[in-house]
Amino acid sequence: MFSRLTPLLRGLLGLMAVLTPLVCGEAAAQGAGAAEVPLDRAAIAAGLCTDAGDTLDRAADALGDASDDDLAFLRRITDALMGRNLVCGETVAIKSGGGTVDALTGAPADASGKTPVLNLRNRASAENLGAALTLLTPSSASDRDRALRVLARRPQGVSAAALARAAEAALDDASRAAIEELAVVASLASEDVSERIAAVEALARTPNRRNLGRLEALKGEPAYEGDTAFRDAVDAAIGEASTWVRIADALSVLFSGLSYASILFIAAVGLAIVFGLMGVINLAHGEFIMIGAYVTFMVQEVLRALAPALVDWYLILAIPFTFLVTAAIGVAIELLVVRHLYRRPLMTLLATWAVSLFLVNIVRVTFGTQNLAFATPSYISGGFTLIGDFIVTQNRLFAIVFALVVLAATWLILKKTPFGLNVRAVTQNREMASAIGIATRRVDMLAFGLGSGLAGLAGLALAPIYNVNPLMGTNFIIESFMVVVLGGVGSLAGTLIAALGIGQINVLIEPIWGAVAAKVIVLLLIIAFIQRRPEGLFAAPGRRK
Amino acid sequence: MTPRDPLAALFAAPAGASRGGSPAVIGAVALALVAVVVLGGPLAGSEAGLSPYMVNLVGQLAAFALLAVSLDLIWGFAGILSLGHGLYFAIGGYVIAMHLLKHGYETTGTVPDFMQFMGWSEFPVYWFGLELFPYALVVAVAAAGLVAFVFGYVSFRSRVGGVYFAIITQALVYVAMLLMFRNDTGFGGNNGMTGFSVIFGYPINTPGAAMAMSAASLAVLLAALLGTRALVRSQFGRLVLAARDDEVRLKTLGYDTLRIKLALWCLSAVLAALAGMLYVPQVGIINPRVLSPELSIEIAVWVAVGGRGHLTGAVIGAVLVNALKFWLSTNAPELWPFILSGLVIVVVLVLPNGLTDLSAAVRGAMGRTGRRAAAREATP
Repeated sequence: MFSRLTPLLRGLLGLMAVLTPLVCGEAAAQGAGAAEVPLDRAAIAAGLCTDAGDTLDRAADALGDASDDDLAFLRRITDALMGRNLVCGETVAIKSGGGTVDALTGAPADASGKTPVLNLRNRASAENLGAALTLLTPSSASDRDRALRVLARRPQGVSAAALARAAEAALDDASRAAIEELAVVASLASEDVSERIAAVEALARTPNRRNLGRLEALKGEPAYEGDTAFRDAVDAAIGEASTWVRIADALSVLFSGLSYASILFIAAVGLAIVFGLMGVINLAHGEFIMIGAYVTFMVQEVLRALAPALVDWYLILAIPFTFLVTAAIGVAIELLVVRHLYRRPLMTLLATWAVSLFLVNIVRVTFGTQNLAFATPSYISGGFTLIGDFIVTQNRLFAIVFALVVLAATWLILKKTPFGLNVRAVTQNREMASAIGIATRRVDMLAFGLGSGLAGLAGLALAPIYNVNPLMGTNFIIESFMVVVLGGVGSLAGTLIAALGIGQINVLIEPIWGAVAAKVIVLLLIIAFIQRRPEGLFAAPGRRK
Repeated sequence: MTPRDPLAALFAAPAGASRGGSPAVIGAVALALVAVVVLGGPLAGSEAGLSPYMVNLVGQLAAFALLAVSLDLIWGFAGILSLGHGLYFAIGGYVIAMHLLKHGYETTGTVPDFMQFMGWSEFPVYWFGLELFPYALVVAVAAAGLVAFVFGYVSFRSRVGGVYFAIITQALVYVAMLLMFRNDTGFGGNNGMTGFSVIFGYPINTPGAAMAMSAASLAVLLAALLGTRALVRSQFGRLVLAARDDEVRLKTLGYDTLRIKLALWCLSAVLAALAGMLYVPQVGIINPRVLSPELSIEIAVWVAVGGRGHLTGAVIGAVLVNALKFWLSTNAPELWPFILSGLVIVVVLVLPNGLTDLSAAVRGAMGRTGRRAAAREATP
């Protein structure tokens, strides 16, 4: 609020703030906040020894405007109470590492006396107070997190003033938001109805499952029956929040399905092109994915050695290398093996299986079997909350964007380049294409390279989110098959739709019956589907085997 | 592919007298059977003859050979490649493992370890009656046949074939593997079933039992070879070849190709299940790894190496590849995958009909005609 005032006004206010205490003395001190009412430390120390519950409550009430010094004292003594280090003898003393010191003065003290034991109710109060003090006094991040969790369980135990002060003292936005949410939750139980209604409305503004649960808990309270305004506010808030929660749920299912579909699409699109073109399932396709991940790893290592500043960008910088290396390996395999087997597609299956076995073992011998360690670049870590419980994680977002780029690039190559025209011609009718002068063998070779390069890019996209080891390709090959078989030969649209369908089905089924059931159901659906359309969703015209 | 006149396939003899198995291999299998019984027999009591390890190895190879024959029947003769034959092998293997455990339960009185882990004190209801071997045999054959029938019926009816069929069979075996990896199915989960103690009332870990199981495997292999040889040479076998070479024309002639293919497919599945029943007691364990897509592809590799469409070729391929594997996996385990992949690529590129090409080439070099090799070139 102050920031909005003009500097002049701010200066004036500052002047007043300095002057007022002088003029108004005692009275103004109450309003101005911290450091005006010294805590009666002796009474509190003595109280903890005789009547801990009330003393703790009194201390909690004082949190809002105690001085930093007093807060430090309170924290010391509360920690001692909970750690059973408080000694109630002649004077109240605290056992610490070296010896025993007087709780008030810090001077060495007599260690004899009894240690007060907390009962259940007092322990809860003490924990709450301790947590609030952890937030109000300098403490480590992990202590703060723990304190936030303690307070979240019993937010009513701390005064609004204390929470407001803690929010002000918070180190970062996330913890400030968390503390402010606690304050809202705390004022849900306030005695002032208008304050409660304001809190209810505030909860409805951040609709997530937890807040919905809090709102629904209010239905059981006497005020819900007794006070119409309150009831209306709660009902309206529940209605609004539950709508948003449902929308957020649907969106997050859609989003995770989309990200899974993206991976499937990138993994399968190269396979689909090669299959459509030559009628050959390349069983080494999964190994091209694996090799793509290894090339990405090598790019990362080279960057780490030569240009450490660029390591964060290895995923982007590796794209051309990964594509070219895997495409080159693909072309080599096409020339050496696949080329000679066009008339025997089932034999190509076996030959490419042998190639995959060979590649897996070459990589195993060269790199070992352990998982590779990838750095997680900043742009794919973390995420942000969009609505309610719908959190957009950046690694999934990256997969989706990457898939879109691959889709666009593949579409452009197939539809807008002379090479793409040739590929489509050969896919539709090899003999006719050959007759009009297209070098079909050359098209095959280049298309195989393109398919392999796309598989390599799939490996790149998977590298930071998946276990990269020599056997990773085998995990993808069957699912890629499914996409291709469902999508139909050589159809980009078919591959895309099949990947989307399988991705969404998986995400819908997995939470209910588990991953195995999802795979079983997908397989059964595909078998059933192929009953009706043996050539897949989008059969390329003119090609029947 | 080489166009072949289906009428020729119908009315002429199947191409090549050796198609359906050369007498030499059948004789070799018979000889091995005699060797195991005669030379392995005395080892129950003495040091003479084959070692129990060798006897067991021969038995395992025979089981694999039977598995290869079952795949060759459907791939070599009907042109239908299954990359999921491990499924039927596993069905036979699991049923015999259940039989052995139930049989062992009669003497020990405790349920298998994996059931104790699950907190079960008695067998689930679907284990009922499996302690009787004839019933277990019926269950294995019926289960394999039923699965094959249902899957084959839906696939062949909608004319799913070629690469599509191969892929779907592979997906099927993969899904089955995922299912069996679960512990709550009552089939041992990822650890599978082991700890067999008795077979037909005899302790299973004796040289005598090893000899008997090995001899049984060889005998079943021999019977399967003779039976399938007769089958592929019969009228039905000619129809199978005709359906492979030109299904549409055979249909036009009034034959129900769906039934022909389905019958052969189910027979193939049952033979694979029998191979599993013979294999598991000899290795003493079954786990979901037999359902891995890799094993199912390897079966096709055995057949391709030996030569498709020759039942004895499948035997030769299975024995050769597996013997090499047994030998190398103890002597040079890291070398084996390279040798296997190299072998497959060489066979696929240079010897399209597997090692039978080699024998034809040798015969050609010895002055005989190689016309059969040419006639056999490249079926789909």
